[in-house]
Amino acid sequence: MTPRTFHRQLFWLIVAGVSTVLVSLSLVVSPASAKPPTQETVKYCLSCHGNPTLSTTLPSGETLSLYIAQDDLNHSVHSNVGIECEACHNDISEYPHPAIQFQTKRELSLSYYQTCEKCHSSNYEKTQDSMHAQAAAAGNENAPVCTDCHGAHDVRPPDEPRSLISVTCEQCHSEIVKTYRESVHGAALMKDENPDVPVCTTCHGVHNIQDPRTSQFRVAEPELCAGCHADPQLMGKYGLSSDVYDIYKRSWHGVDVSVYKARWPTIWHDSAVCSDCHGIHDIRSTGDPASKVNEKNLLSTCQQCHPTAGPNWTDAWTGHNEISLERTPFLFYVEKFYGSFTPFVLWACVIYVILQIVRATVDRVRSSRP
Amino acid sequence: MSGKNAKSTTLARQERSFLRFTVGQRWEHAILLLSGLVLLLTGLPQKYREFSISQDLLSTPEQIFLIRQVHHIAAIVLSLLVMYHVGRILVLMSRRRLPGDLLPTMQDLRDAWHMLQYLLFLRKDKPRFGRYNFEQKVTYWVVFFSVAIMGISGLIIWFPVQMTQVLPGGVVPAAKLAHSTESVALAIFIVIWHIYHVHIERLNLSMFTGRLSEEELRTFHEKEYQRLANQSGEMK
Repeated sequence: MTPRTFHRQLFWLIVAGVSTVLVSLSLVVSPASAKPPTQETVKYCLSCHGNPTLSTTLPSGETLSLYIAQDDLNHSVHSNVGIECEACHNDISEYPHPAIQFQTKRELSLSYYQTCEKCHSSNYEKTQDSMHAQAAAAGNENAPVCTDCHGAHDVRPPDEPRSLISVTCEQCHSEIVKTYRESVHGAALMKDENPDVPVCTTCHGVHNIQDPRTSQFRVAEPELCAGCHADPQLMGKYGLSSDVYDIYKRSWHGVDVSVYKARWPTIWHDSAVCSDCHGIHDIRSTGDPASKVNEKNLLSTCQQCHPTAGPNWTDAWTGHNEISLERTPFLFYVEKFYGSFTPFVLWACVIYVILQIVRATVDRVRSSRP
Repeated sequence: MSGKNAKSTTLARQERSFLRFTVGQRWEHAILLLSGLVLLLTGLPQKYREFSISQDLLSTPEQIFLIRQVHHIAAIVLSLLVMYHVGRILVLMSRRRLPGDLLPTMQDLRDAWHMLQYLLFLRKDKPRFGRYNFEQKVTYWVVFFSVAIMGISGLIIWFPVQMTQVLPGGVVPAAKLAHSTESVALAIFIVIWHIYHVHIERLNLSMFTGRLSEEELRTFHEKEYQRLANQSGEMK
């Protein structure tokens, strides 16, 4: 081996050694750099905003806390998928930050929530058709925006647990939610997070919540209730009849409502829909003495629309029940009569007339022959 | 066979005819026919509201009220007619001058049995009828009781609140069912029974002209013809 070849070998040995070190270094380092930069950003931002006392005073005089709790972010649906601060705070990209332009805290919320549209465009558009958006357009700056219901830094699944939905709506609609919690639906929700009872959004919709006081909402209401109350499996679970909707549709009220729904959904009419008798947020089991349709209260409920009705009147209502001898004897016998005697008479007439036609035809044919 | 002969003889000589229905009776029938038709035509779209043709007819809420009002007016007309008809019966009865021709008798059952045998080719001759045959009596009594049911049930569903001050509440849905079912049953009955017998089997317009020809009377109401013949014979 000549010294020259030795040097050459040494050179390659060093190259190989250095490359090995570099490769293994890069292997060690790369997992760290492949991590989402989120944590880095969050960490970076929280290095200031993690301070619970950090705050500023807005021109309105309100104190705006600038503290972001690590715990909120930990539970947020966004942080866990790597969506970082500047996804929403897209006006802040450097430190020191540009000066805050907002006069009030509300102004700040009303500005920042618009960034939700970037990812959630379909739900965002739905909210633009909602009653809340109408209230906002009419100048109510407290009309809710995305963050009022979903939260800002602590966005979590809105229905976990299910009762959280009513808590969310309660922030503004406290009286109604209070009533709802005492109803048969609300009580079941509060007691054991019942998965079947309607929560606010079941009836009112989620993002495109409409005004429930319109005639359109009114005529569509029976179908809304029927969504659950005509489902035999669901009703069977609670020992309730799933025929109530079908029987209602055949009733005086139901026929009226169906015509209005088909022809004049925008014309107000007073023929009773479900909530007129059962209540709206205060629906109770019919056996509950506080229920509007409990035996004791039924007459006064009828008198809402039929003010001169007497005590016999409540029996005129068949109560969503099929015809039966015990409950509706008059109806029972009338139906029996028209189910047996009348068809018998009519069939006898048909047969008699057919026999007459046969006999007359035969006679005519016979007499035409010589 | 007899129809042909009757026609030729009618044409052959000027025939005697017999008064069958008085002017009053003919008016009664005409009013019954018209009011009944109006009631049916205004009632059906209310009964079958789910059909789009009904909804076309009841195309505005005002139209519903109009149709209901027409129905109620026709109902009042028919009620007045019924009052007149029943009142007249009572008056005639009190004077012992009510002709009993329309009352069902045992003879009608025998005639019906006879007719059934004839229709089943078990007999060659038709029964000989009096002034009204059993088919016509059936028509009268079915319409009589149907109108009674329609009237009473109609009154209950027209004034449900007032009626239940006295009557039990259960009569209201029962009346509603009776009213709408009876109306259709009666309409079906009129079409298959009455229309067949007075228009298709033979054209019998005596309810409008008031008279039956001698030939018709002899063919279809032989006993009555004989009775009248005897009567006029005795008179002579």
